[in-house]
Amino acid sequence: MEIKTQIYQRVTVVTVTGRIDSASASDLEAELKKQTEEGKLSLVLDLSGVEFLSSSGLRVLVTTLKLVRRSGGDLRLAQPSQRATDAIDLAGLDVLFQAFPDREAAIASF
Amino acid sequence: MTLPASRDRLGAVCDLVRDASEHSGFDERTNYACQLAVCEAVENIILHGYRDRSDGEIRIDLRSDPGRLTVEIVDDAPPFDPTRYRSDPNVSLQDPPVGGRGLLMIRRVMDAIDYERRRDRNHLRLTKTEAFAGA
Repeated sequence: MEIKTQIYQRVTVVTVTGRIDSASASDLEAELKKQTEEGKLSLVLDLSGVEFLSSSGLRVLVTTLKLVRRSGGDLRLAQPSQRATDAIDLAGLDVLFQAFPDREAAIASF
Repeated sequence: MTLPASRDRLGAVCDLVRDASEHSGFDERTNYACQLAVCEAVENIILHGYRDRSDGEIRIDLRSDPGRLTVEIVDDAPPFDPTRYRSDPNVSLQDPPVGGRGLLMIRRVMDAIDYERRRDRNHLRLTKTEAFAGA
């Protein structure tokens, strides 16, 4: 799994590629925690390159979503791959996340 | 195949399921759904059965027939029968669940889930017979 973070004026975009499972979810959790602790509460998660997303990864997404929403922020998804979308749908979590077809739209939504 | 119960081996488990699912003739989306379901079951054993114990082992037997994939997962962790647990598919928007989604994912993907405890081992059999068309 690779994680790339880009900080814009109002929004932080975290791009994840590869596998997100229990072997790698802690790395994603650490990066998202770092951003939120620095006050970055408007987060876009670009999931276009995600090849596998298990419930361990979904746990990180939901934990971060709850954290930022409590503080008035949000975690929004940009161009989730079909595989990421299927995992989110199968877990019944599709109702939680706002997803956008591209990252520009996700950034502009804030 | 017998694997150490390690998170680092989940990718190898997925590769096994991918190859077997291809032999069964499933399309790419069904193949991925099978990988997800089997990896969820294996993750459960590693995290909750063995509690990340380093000496645990998991045996995975796969059988591919045209239009049918059967995966039997055997471990000697404490008894756990996933067929006895019901996951609520509904999610509270105010207080969404942080965990517990893996069993729901397995149930939604697989067409049959059978569990037996034999000779101090958990035997979980997951069977896929129909194409996955979304949750």
